[in-house]
Amino acid sequence: MIQLIHISKQYDQRPALSDVSLEIGKGEFVLLMGPSGAGKSTLLRMLIGADRPDEGQIFVHQKNVTTLKPSDIPYLRRKVGTVFQDFRLLPKKSVFDNVSLPLLVQGVSSADIRRKVTEALRAVGVEHKRDQLPAGLSTGEQQRVCIARAIVNGPVVLLADEPTGNLDPVLTAEIIELFKLINARGTTVVVATHDPLVMAQVNRRVLTLSQGRLLPEQRGLA
Amino acid sequence: MRTLAYLLRESWVNMRTNRMTTMVAILTTAFTLACVGIFLLLYVNLRAAAGWLQDDIKIMVYLDDRLASDSVAEVEQHLRSDRAVASLLFISKEQALGEFKAQFPSESHLLEGLGQNPLPASYVVALSPSFRSPDSVKRWAERVRQIAGVSKVDYNQDWIDALATVIRSIELVAIGIGVILSAAAVTIIANTIRLTLFARRDEIAILRLIGATTSFIRIPYLVEGAVLGALGSALSLVMLKFMYELFRQQMRTTGRFAGLDSLMAFFPPSVCLALIAVGMGLGFAGSFVSIRRFGEGKA
Repeated sequence: MIQLIHISKQYDQRPALSDVSLEIGKGEFVLLMGPSGAGKSTLLRMLIGADRPDEGQIFVHQKNVTTLKPSDIPYLRRKVGTVFQDFRLLPKKSVFDNVSLPLLVQGVSSADIRRKVTEALRAVGVEHKRDQLPAGLSTGEQQRVCIARAIVNGPVVLLADEPTGNLDPVLTAEIIELFKLINARGTTVVVATHDPLVMAQVNRRVLTLSQGRLLPEQRGLA
Repeated sequence: MRTLAYLLRESWVNMRTNRMTTMVAILTTAFTLACVGIFLLLYVNLRAAAGWLQDDIKIMVYLDDRLASDSVAEVEQHLRSDRAVASLLFISKEQALGEFKAQFPSESHLLEGLGQNPLPASYVVALSPSFRSPDSVKRWAERVRQIAGVSKVDYNQDWIDALATVIRSIELVAIGIGVILSAAAVTIIANTIRLTLFARRDEIAILRLIGATTSFIRIPYLVEGAVLGALGSALSLVMLKFMYELFRQQMRTTGRFAGLDSLMAFFPPSVCLALIAVGMGLGFAGSFVSIRRFGEGKA
């Protein structure tokens, strides 16, 4: 599903990623670990075409992201859901409207939008908050809405960049459970985190980045 | 359908959120376009006036004073057989004197001092519409001058030529001012849209991340620019109409240029619609410029 071949990237002569090669199969749940500045966010940004590597090639869902035309990038992003640490919800739009955005940009019919958004909100447990503005939600609820927005159009891959960075341990556990559920439905999930709590909860494949280099693989603790 | 509704709603939300900026943009665009409109209105009215003068042109064909009556008949026959001549009116020496006295009663003693009537007999000729262009009139007058018994051919072409020169100058000024002020209108709207883009940069970034195409992101801002331009243009027409009516009213009350006010005309509805469309185009262009400057990768 995801393949990186000898990826390198520098910012201002400082290496962000150095010769990173990896493969993530369809339906896998992978933790991308590493301290701040290790290159996790850079790697995720490259997977959605928000950044381009200096060297190497990236394939996502059989598409070579490194050679994609700018006009094709939106179509790649429709297959890849993204969850952010800061949620990035539109403050003046209701929960329903925020979650419906990925469907609106694809021109999905009103009836389908209603159905899919309701399903996504139910899946993350915030269906009852559909008419509220993000400011009226707790941080955990905001992250759930962000996840609902990422999964509403049935992406093949879900990328999460420090999704529990703003959450307490209880909420972290709830969000990780949500990711597991989404993964159980067949979606490939990649979670970038520096939080050992997350690793403790996910007994899955762990990729560790350190100063832009990929370290030998390990598994999360059960 | 829902997508279209969303895009239009976003344009409306943009304008409502930045209410003050939107109002200022519409007003400044209106004032700018009204300045262009004044010249355009002046140009349109002067052109119409030139057209009436040209249509109404009367050519005086003066006859030689010593011409015998059968020769006068020959000249008349010549003129009547000319296909360029639409109508012909003979004015005898006596009629000419009578008209002079009627028009200039205080000056009539000047002619009495001369003893005999110095005014020549003449024909007042109106040409057919297809022969009323300045060049045709000129050619026709030169040809008639060659007829034996014709002493002079006179018409107010100098006046029309002078008016044409004024119109050409106004045309050039209107084009010059139009281009400069249109560029100003584009800049005003471009700046308004830039402010909106800046205020909504986070939202634009989110839209890009969830797979919105460039056109999906741009359409609300392009619509907003077009609406600002159209509203500015419409308001400028309202302002112009108001000034135009005020000017006509002033002409009527002061009594100056009496009768001229009825000849003046405002833009017909089709031109008004075209001007609103031009305003819309300028707004669209301003918005487009802003979006391009904001960055391909951002909006």
